[in-house]
Amino acid sequence: MIGAFIDGPLWYFSLTVFLLGVAWRLAGIVRRGVAADLAPARGDAARGALRTIFTRALPRRPVLHGGRVQMIAGYLFHLGLLVLLLFAQPHVDFYAERIAGFGWSTLPHWGFILASEIAFAGLILLWIYRVMNPVTRLLSGFGDHVASLLVFMVMFSGCLALGQSHEALRLLHLFLAELLLLYFPFSSLMHTFTFVLSRGYTGAAMARKGVNA
Amino acid sequence: MHRLWPGLVLLLCLCSSLNVAGQTGSEGIAVPNPGSELWREVRQRSQPLPPGGQSEAPGLALLQEIRQRRLSEMPVGRSQLAGSGAGAVFINSLGDTWRRLRMERLVPIGGYLLGGALLLVLLFYLIRGRVPIRAGRSQHKLYRYSPYERLIHWFIAFNFILLALSGLILLFGRSLLLPWMGPQLFSAVASASKEGHNLFGPLFLLALALIFLQFVRRNIYQKGDLTWLLRGGGVIGKKHVPSNFFNMGEKTMFWMLILVGGVTALSGLVLLFPLFGQGRELMALSHLAHAVTAIVMITVIIGHIYIGTIGMEGALEGMRTGYCDLNWAREHHDWWAQKCEERGETVSAEDVARARGEVSPAHIAEERGR
Repeated sequence: MIGAFIDGPLWYFSLTVFLLGVAWRLAGIVRRGVAADLAPARGDAARGALRTIFTRALPRRPVLHGGRVQMIAGYLFHLGLLVLLLFAQPHVDFYAERIAGFGWSTLPHWGFILASEIAFAGLILLWIYRVMNPVTRLLSGFGDHVASLLVFMVMFSGCLALGQSHEALRLLHLFLAELLLLYFPFSSLMHTFTFVLSRGYTGAAMARKGVNA
Repeated sequence: MHRLWPGLVLLLCLCSSLNVAGQTGSEGIAVPNPGSELWREVRQRSQPLPPGGQSEAPGLALLQEIRQRRLSEMPVGRSQLAGSGAGAVFINSLGDTWRRLRMERLVPIGGYLLGGALLLVLLFYLIRGRVPIRAGRSQHKLYRYSPYERLIHWFIAFNFILLALSGLILLFGRSLLLPWMGPQLFSAVASASKEGHNLFGPLFLLALALIFLQFVRRNIYQKGDLTWLLRGGGVIGKKHVPSNFFNMGEKTMFWMLILVGGVTALSGLVLLFPLFGQGRELMALSHLAHAVTAIVMITVIIGHIYIGTIGMEGALEGMRTGYCDLNWAREHHDWWAQKCEERGETVSAEDVARARGEVSPAHIAEERGR
């Protein structure tokens, strides 16, 4: 009964909320527009935007000096999670069955485990850092902690269900993933998409002024 | 044992087909088939006894016979399947020995040890109470742990707690949880614990390596440590016992974590990756080493958590904020505190609170207004 609800209606509901919510948030940001810059352009804004979107993903010298652990943990978590989401066998099977209708190459089991280890190491370190560091602790609101906890719980329940021998564990993982989808558009997790807009805006504005930023 | 059934059935099918091939072929090759013979023997001995016969359970006599034999003396029962070491033995008495050792020795003794440790901590708390900072809180602090040190400490703590909980479920769950959870729920919990334990195990090894590299220098035994030990860290007698940055107890705990915890982690890897030809004996030994060292470590860490939290005033501050109270340092690590004071490294408690954002902006504005 509960299993059928989690596997069926709740899944479609949470997916709909996620898609509409993300679209609504992105549209809201885009619709706000940007203030007109009346000064003559000194560089190509589009090229600057594109460059900044990618170059900001690379470590910068001041960050390398002061926040090495945070930076490494950040890369570990985000890359590990991305690989898990897109190339883990159970996830690809799920996408093929429920969303895309087709599958793609997946990681071997050892790769799956390695990606999980990397993602978990990154997430735990980042979470401890967030709570421990005075600056990040003050910057973090209740919603940030909820987001961290939900991401951790989804990953953790996924790891507990790795044996694929108990339907209850799979349903627990799916249920937590659905909660995450419902929470996602209304939280700081939106940075998954909005980083493109914020970096793009910064890059475009700076390039137009002729600043190499 | 039930896991062997599919293999046995498969082997029987294979043996039957070989037998058929031998009968139908013009020149059959004589293939020794001890597995099939052993299986036949088991089946024969497992027949229900006639009325008035011995009251033994079916197959018990054979099992007892196998238990009494040493591995090298096993005359029958070599499997033709590729395997390593004892893995190729058809019925291995070692598996049963290991099972009995685990259920009849490891589980009860481990349980008593852990229960005893908890009881001891409780008794100690009831008798001794919380160790206070005798001189009271100081207005000054000393910088004790860097952010990186605290980060890796909490990282290993997080991993250790997850591993300890899942490991205890795996070790004691059958005795403690199964009766009230029921087989279905317990099966899911045990499966989840196993997967979680396997996944977080390598992270513990990583954390252990980071802890070792960062803290090893300050944990080398030095002059004065033995005195600290002989006086039981101040528990024996009322005389003050001086110590360095880490006292003898902390240093011993560090080395236990590295050495005993290292054995736990490495034996865990042997169990986790059975890909390198490790045989059944090594796996059984690794399991034993893994469980024994883990129980020892959990017992030690219970004491560590106790003294770091409710057991001693001011002990947690260093690992929580990076700074410790000056009077606490004078009372528990006075040689180190003395050096810091000589170098002028004391910081006012208010500055620390301000740097940590624990002073409200209103309070700061009020101070500026004065």
